[in-house]
Amino acid sequence: MRRWWKFVVLSLATLLILPVVRAGAADTVNVYSIWTENWGRQLFPEFEKATGIKLNFVRFSSGEALVRLIAEKNNPRVDVLFGGPVETHAAGITEGIFEPYKPPSFGVLPARFKHPDGQWVAIADNPLVFLSNTKFLKEHNLKPPTSWDDLLNPAYKNMLQMADARTSGMAVTRLFSILEVFGRDEAKAFDYMKKKRRNVQLYTKSGVGGVLPVAMGQAAAGTFFIVDCLDVQEKGYDVTISTPREGSGSAGEAIALIKGAKNPEVGKKLIDWATSPAMQSLFAKYKINFIPTHPDVKIAPSLTEVLKDAKIFPIDLDYAGANRKRIVERWVNEVLNLKE
Amino acid sequence: MRGWGAGEDQPLIRLGDSMNAATAWLAEWRRTLRDPALSITVLVLWALLGLFILFPLVKLSAWTFVDGGHFTLANLQAIFQDPNHRQAFWNSLLLAALVGLCGTTLGFLYAFTAVRTNLSRAWITILDAASLLPLISPPFTTAIATILSFGPRGLITYHILGIKGFTIYGLYSTLFSETLTYFPIAYLTLKPILAAIDPNVEDMAFSLGSSRWRVFRTVTLPLTIPGLANAFLLLFAASLADFATPLILAGNNFPVLPTQAYLQITGLFDMKGGAVLSFVLLVPALVVYLLQRYWVSRRYYVTVTGKVGAQTTIKSVAPWARSPLLGACLLVAAGILYFYVLLFYTSVVVALGANHAWTWQHYQVVFTAGLRAIHDTLIIAGAGMPLGGLYGILVGYLVAKKIFPGRQAMEIVSMINYSLPGTIVGIAYLMAFNDPPLVLTGTAFIIVACYVFRYSPTGIRATVALLQQIDPSIEEASEGLGAGSRTTFRRITIPLILPAFFAGLGVVFIRSMTAISATIFLVSINWTLITVRILEDMTTLDLGSAAAFSVLVVVIVFVVIALISGLLRRFRAHGAVEITSILGG
Repeated sequence: MRRWWKFVVLSLATLLILPVVRAGAADTVNVYSIWTENWGRQLFPEFEKATGIKLNFVRFSSGEALVRLIAEKNNPRVDVLFGGPVETHAAGITEGIFEPYKPPSFGVLPARFKHPDGQWVAIADNPLVFLSNTKFLKEHNLKPPTSWDDLLNPAYKNMLQMADARTSGMAVTRLFSILEVFGRDEAKAFDYMKKKRRNVQLYTKSGVGGVLPVAMGQAAAGTFFIVDCLDVQEKGYDVTISTPREGSGSAGEAIALIKGAKNPEVGKKLIDWATSPAMQSLFAKYKINFIPTHPDVKIAPSLTEVLKDAKIFPIDLDYAGANRKRIVERWVNEVLNLKE
Repeated sequence: MRGWGAGEDQPLIRLGDSMNAATAWLAEWRRTLRDPALSITVLVLWALLGLFILFPLVKLSAWTFVDGGHFTLANLQAIFQDPNHRQAFWNSLLLAALVGLCGTTLGFLYAFTAVRTNLSRAWITILDAASLLPLISPPFTTAIATILSFGPRGLITYHILGIKGFTIYGLYSTLFSETLTYFPIAYLTLKPILAAIDPNVEDMAFSLGSSRWRVFRTVTLPLTIPGLANAFLLLFAASLADFATPLILAGNNFPVLPTQAYLQITGLFDMKGGAVLSFVLLVPALVVYLLQRYWVSRRYYVTVTGKVGAQTTIKSVAPWARSPLLGACLLVAAGILYFYVLLFYTSVVVALGANHAWTWQHYQVVFTAGLRAIHDTLIIAGAGMPLGGLYGILVGYLVAKKIFPGRQAMEIVSMINYSLPGTIVGIAYLMAFNDPPLVLTGTAFIIVACYVFRYSPTGIRATVALLQQIDPSIEEASEGLGAGSRTTFRRITIPLILPAFFAGLGVVFIRSMTAISATIFLVSINWTLITVRILEDMTTLDLGSAAAFSVLVVVIVFVVIALISGLLRRFRAHGAVEITSILGG
């Protein structure tokens, strides 16, 4: 039987040789990016060119990135969390994973684009809009929705897709937009959402989840962030983007320094760059359809076109923070689980 | 000489009958200690199991159930007060049982047709290839293809059948998609077992005047029971742990636990809640395992004996029944093939549903920006493959053939990571190996370890099922003729369990190329995977690149599996069981 422990020893030896650690140097910044790989591949080389610092990144959805940061708290693997809705960062503050830092642009940013202590700083703004399938609109003789009430039209029965408030920051932004539209009258707002429920085919797990179904006609319309809507339109899908005349909310996309980061100095340089006009003017260059947060940067023409009649209001972060849990629970009980 | 199906007990159980439990236990210890090779192997395996299965699990449970130094069930209570979660628990059980049932049936149909209807090699190759496709495709492929075909604007439901407003989300579509994805596991488990049933056994029944149906019912089917039970167990556990399919297809009215756990963690950032939901999944997995074990161990299934009769032709299926059987298999194969044609089509048009102009641009992305992911994935899968195969037969052999203390515990522990949802295994690994003493996060090693310990149970189960069929008297005869235990192991046991080794190794390779749920938490700045890129492309609405990556994965795995099958044919010892190939081709 000596044969098998030879096997075992051999396999153990293989196991031990395997872990080849590709170590990072001090002039390298490591990043979890919530912004997509495509954007990262366009934007980050510009940072490397401007500063001479090498940037390694891996992309995760906001939830996955946050969970990793929490699990790695005692031994952080990255220096910066790049992108992701402010909501994610708010949850991160509770877990104590960020190191406050105020970049040079901190002073000129509007108050809603920064955490007062510098736990996070917003680098882009992302309003909610309506996206509809143009073919569906034509077939049903519908005009693109321009009011929240238009989504109650029975023509949309079982054909709307939008995000689930339990899992998507976008959905939470939508709930607070609706509350704002109804003057924070919860009874009226929930009455509206319950009426809309019967038109909803699916509440998707991620905010972006419904965009492609609408583009491909699996669903007719939905409420989404403008960046994803313009993205799918540029891919060639026949979709119409419209905005509600009552107004809609928008969510900031933020950046934060990780507490205990191995290379905090280069991490700070990345935050300096991301909050500067130099980075935010790249949005237009690479057709990344965010609204810049830095007041000196102009909005890209593709965005101004869509948003020319739009009424965008900021979500009140204090109000949202204080009521989020309760509102989401109420939404689950009264809207999501509504039995007819 | 023991015969087949003689209702005799296994030696272990006889041992238990004749002595009282305590002395038996002591005897086990003595026996184990007398055999240093055995005790060293057992110790090493326990060390590995402890480190890569129990340690992460304990770390995660401590985190879930200990609050401020005290044990608490508050988290468990909080989760189960939510009617949504209770509903999800029952839904998960229902779905897993149905997938187990449908998948095993379909797998049996395939295996039976492949080995019992005298098909020509070409047909068998077609069946093998078709059943391999779902197994080797990246997650989401079947689910996405299901939506594209049967969704509200699906190719079939809307464009061909003209049904409007069809709702696809729910139990049936999830069941359909999971059955298609997982039935090949049943096929792989059942095929060698059916092949190993000597046609002479059936012949005897025929010569005694039995009808074909009676032979099938009273000889063939009962002899396949260990395989059927194993297949059901594997499918049940796979479905129970699958989160990708329900994530896309289950919709809002059919929540299942793995999806709820994933959402609890990544949506509500509630890792404790997610962990609790996942721990709950262990209970049904364990129950089914014990049932299966109890049911199978009460019978005796030796069909591979030392006595080789004259080779006989297989007569178990009437000539008229061949065509319907083959037809049914081909129908399923056509369905599967259609899905993959759709996948390929998606990868060569600019944007499916908008612009159907022919293009190679998605493959250009794959071979430029995706090159690193391909490179990393191949290294990781290549490293995991031999380790997984070896680990699978070692554990399988020990558990099925050797008597040592903690044997049953080893079998159960080796199954744990397979039956937990990947998300939770990934997070447990992340939490266990991020801090000293053992820092593995950021290395390729943690991903390899995760794959080996999560996906080897197929190899283990295949080894156990094969060994249960082999008459111990073959080994006894070898030793009686003067061969040492080493020679016996090398000349008898190894050739007999070689198919299981290759099955185990093949599955680990396939899973390393295609799995995502656990490793999404283990990829790092240094090591990334193709599947992560696929998920990424799906979230950025880039169906074309996602499809191109998927096609690439399918092609790589097909090539590797074909190579393994070739190897298997070369290595097969003369006179060994006629198993053409456990992996197809």
